[in-house]
Amino acid sequence: MNKRSKTFYEQEVERIAREYGLPEYHYAYIRQSKAFMEKYHGNKIQLDEMASAAFMSRFHYIRIFQQIYGMTPRQYLRNLRIEKAKELLKKGLSVTHVCVEVGYESLPTFSRVFKRGTGYSPKAYQELNISNLE
Amino acid sequence: MIRIYVTSVPVLDQDKALKFYTEKLGFIKKTEVPVGEYKWLTVVSPNEQNGVELLLEPIAFEPAKEYQIALKDAGIPWTSFMVDDLKKEYERLIGLGVQFSMEPKEVGPTMIAVLDDTCGNNIQLLEML
Repeated sequence: MNKRSKTFYEQEVERIAREYGLPEYHYAYIRQSKAFMEKYHGNKIQLDEMASAAFMSRFHYIRIFQQIYGMTPRQYLRNLRIEKAKELLKKGLSVTHVCVEVGYESLPTFSRVFKRGTGYSPKAYQELNISNLE
Repeated sequence: MIRIYVTSVPVLDQDKALKFYTEKLGFIKKTEVPVGEYKWLTVVSPNEQNGVELLLEPIAFEPAKEYQIALKDAGIPWTSFMVDDLKKEYERLIGLGVQFSMEPKEVGPTMIAVLDDTCGNNIQLLEML
């Protein structure tokens, strides 16, 4: 086992986690809800389902999720869908196909959310990245 | 609309930094423009080649050097990069001879580790759990 001494930073990280961290089970449950979003991001997901995956009430779930990740579960899911859409667009799938794959029912809504999240329309993002990756 | 296009790490030697950030960490060189005795030298993530660029900025201002040394000695990271699988990345980098001042450690919703970029900085790697 490595017996290196801990840096000031590592000691501070440990202290803050010890003094201000949430109970371990909160992290574990919230991670379960994240895994649920990861698995079902292509479907229509209700907030109650996400909260159930974390064994929490809606209100408690939103509060704890926001405390841990700094954003609401809805915002997290939206960002996750944008990241998945970026991957699929880079692979050359059509915008309509990507829209459905990442759980949006409306193409204009998907395009608007994608543009707000990335600065590019899905088509422009695809053209930029496919030409760039050669 | 205003946007963030670049962030930087101060480096003691730009050529050495470029080698470390590309050959060890896996970034890709994006721009290299001569500016006096230095250069505007940026790298990007392979999967985000149009994303925010990381400027390998020469540290030529004495007070900045003192600040960099103080952070380094305390083990405080200059900045943080995200990875998908920290334990895997840690093993890969150890295999390449990269030194870590903090091994992978679970902290709240994250796992973090801190490495030495050999150019004067501690760099944190982070995986969101």
